[in-house]
Amino acid sequence: MKNTVMKILVPLSIAGLLLTGCGGGGGSADGGAAAASDTLRVNWGGFPESWEPGSQAMEPGYMRVPYETLVLREKDGTILPNLATEWEFGEGATSLALTLRDDVTFHDGTPFDAEAVKTNIEYVRDVVGGQFGGPLAAVEAIEVVDETHVSLTFSRPFSTFLDLLSQRNLPMGSPAAIADGSIKTNPVGTGPWAYDESASTTGTKMVFSEFEDYWGEEPGFPNVELYAIADPTAAAAAVISGDVDLSDVEEETIPTLEAAGNIDTFDYPAIRNNVVFFDRGEGGVFADPKARQAFCYAFDGQAAADLTGGETATQHFIDGEVGYNPDITGYETSIDKAKELWAELGNPAVDIEWPAAPFNEQEVTVRAENANQLPNVNITVQSLSVPQFVSTWNSGQYPLGIGNHAQITPADWYGSWFSETAPSNPSKTVSDELKALATDAQRSGGSPEADEKWQAALKQISDEALVCSHAIGVELIAYNTDRVADVNPAIQVWEQKLVDLRAITPAD
Amino acid sequence: MLKLIGTRLLLVVPQLLIVSILVFLLVYLIPGSAAAMILGEAGSNPEAIAQVEAQLGLDRPFVVRLVEWMGAALQGDLGTSLQSGRPVADLVAERIPATLSLVAGGLLVAIVLGLSLGVLAGTHARRPVDRAVTGLSSLMQSVPEFWLGLLMILVFVIQLGIAPVVAWVPPQQDAGAWLQGLILPALALGVGASALITRQTRVAVTSALESRYADTLTAAGVPRRRIVWVYALKNAMVPVLASSALAVSILFGTSLVMERVFSFPGMGTMLLNAVLAKDFPLVQGTVLVICVIIIAVNLVVDIGYGLINPKARPQ
Repeated sequence: MKNTVMKILVPLSIAGLLLTGCGGGGGSADGGAAAASDTLRVNWGGFPESWEPGSQAMEPGYMRVPYETLVLREKDGTILPNLATEWEFGEGATSLALTLRDDVTFHDGTPFDAEAVKTNIEYVRDVVGGQFGGPLAAVEAIEVVDETHVSLTFSRPFSTFLDLLSQRNLPMGSPAAIADGSIKTNPVGTGPWAYDESASTTGTKMVFSEFEDYWGEEPGFPNVELYAIADPTAAAAAVISGDVDLSDVEEETIPTLEAAGNIDTFDYPAIRNNVVFFDRGEGGVFADPKARQAFCYAFDGQAAADLTGGETATQHFIDGEVGYNPDITGYETSIDKAKELWAELGNPAVDIEWPAAPFNEQEVTVRAENANQLPNVNITVQSLSVPQFVSTWNSGQYPLGIGNHAQITPADWYGSWFSETAPSNPSKTVSDELKALATDAQRSGGSPEADEKWQAALKQISDEALVCSHAIGVELIAYNTDRVADVNPAIQVWEQKLVDLRAITPAD
Repeated sequence: MLKLIGTRLLLVVPQLLIVSILVFLLVYLIPGSAAAMILGEAGSNPEAIAQVEAQLGLDRPFVVRLVEWMGAALQGDLGTSLQSGRPVADLVAERIPATLSLVAGGLLVAIVLGLSLGVLAGTHARRPVDRAVTGLSSLMQSVPEFWLGLLMILVFVIQLGIAPVVAWVPPQQDAGAWLQGLILPALALGVGASALITRQTRVAVTSALESRYADTLTAAGVPRRRIVWVYALKNAMVPVLASSALAVSILFGTSLVMERVFSFPGMGTMLLNAVLAKDFPLVQGTVLVICVIIIAVNLVVDIGYGLINPKARPQ
């Protein structure tokens, strides 16, 4: 009997010793050693496919680790200096003069100056393109005045250009790393944390070490490590065990997190999904506003939100944000109204595809089935992979789509989706009424009336049903209270995977 | 024996040829255009797509591309990843240690567990212990590996706090941490595959113990432990080796899921991302390397088979 007991106990003891690293310590991301208190460990579930400035793949939670923007924007719209200290718009907001800091260097030692700004704008505008590079097409000329002064000329009034400079459109990357192409895999910015390739583990951990020549205030943690724990259960377990300090998590893991006792969570409205009608050109399926309105009335956004855990909204901007218009009431679900409008058009036959990715297939399917209740309407949901979806859903390949709109100002939103030159307006059509209202708002940029004028333009967008069935995706963040304190969303609005990493401090 | 090795090596050539053609063909089954994927939001422009396809050589005849690709692959050039612009061989080399560690760990668990349980069942044939082991191995085979992995995370990470979630540490960085991080994933991966080896070992050991030579050995006074572990097990090794080779193929497949659960930066996750992104060269290169590894394992097993069993050698 004693022999049998020993046969069981010995292997178990060996396994236990191995699991605990022969020292009885808790598991940690560093292989059992207690994690250094000078390193903040964050899990966003993966790594961007490209770290180049303006890349759609680089969500803000990644971008704001190595990179910085020229200015910062608070939630109320106030623009704060950052790499640029001063700015002045020219007559009619068709030009902008920027004054830059003179004490900034990139992580690779390249000086940050007016030439670097020029290189970045040209690279994002001409090479990267897409949702974030597209709006930069309005930058007609970039003049390097001297090392700390750069002057931009726009092809149209662009009073909201500073908002754009604070966002994903234009983080400042090292011109040397851009030139040799290494910036796609090795980000080189000006932030307090510099990427350390030699300390990183491919596919598992990206290490960003303290940048000793950093120009600004020291962050709460000198070093940051990013992790790629993709599985929701594993991510929750990593926060609870202290393998990572902070992670975005899924709602299904909340009971486990709450039961742990050392975890705090918070959420914020990070993602704005809107249904957009792209085929609005002459002869297009959605050329007639009544067709768009019929679909908008048919959509049951609440049913879709109930399935996915999101929220619905009457418009893109929510109460408290610049651009919110209380007069916009949206399209309350009514299949009768939808059928009435469709009948007025003669119940036309529509046979189209609606693209969906794994993460929004339910949302798309619900809405497609809603619309299929209209006579002669047959919408087929086209399942795509995530990269396929991201690259095609708003390209004009499909007559309609639902996806994230990352723009945080009315001007940027209009310029990205509805203006004649908008990268996500493949039909290149815009009504005279909307164009007049938007132009008026653009010209009054910076004046007290600007917000009011944009509200009028947004009401027109809603009335024309260019977009509808607005949905808000919530980002859920969990952090280990034994390890970190002062964890809050960043001052930027609704950016995905974004926590104010600089403000986080070690827990007492 | 040399004849056996030569024959088996010759068989590898057509195997590799067929695998290469299949791998090259497979990517054509993935719907969509690589050029559109590279172009991103500009991907709806047919002219731009045609231009990129010409740059990538995607507009050339299939056979020309196949021959070129195979020629380059023979020299170790697996092409360049469309997404990252890096050589596929470099990307595979970065990821292969994690996958091989996981598969080797899983195989070790499968063999140790399979042999132990198989011998236990075989030496207690048709008795309660045998039935219990058979039932247990059926259970182990039917439990999904990812579920077992998640269960282990819940128990060992959250409840007991004795294992890390971020399990992968390169062996050259810290061999101890590498081994420690490998335990849970290898267990989760190997348990399912062990069922196959358990059953094969049980049948072989039972058959050996019921044979006449076992009776003779018993009559000659050879201890039962020696009969089991020296004579019966040696005979049992032939089917066990064959099932171990099959287990390697299974382990490569299931390691893809396990890599995600335990955040292992292996070839599985890279392959999945490459398929989704239509990174054809990366898909082709990764699948080819996995196939070559499996063919190599089978080659080793075939040779080992010949070593153990003289009847398997060509006369």
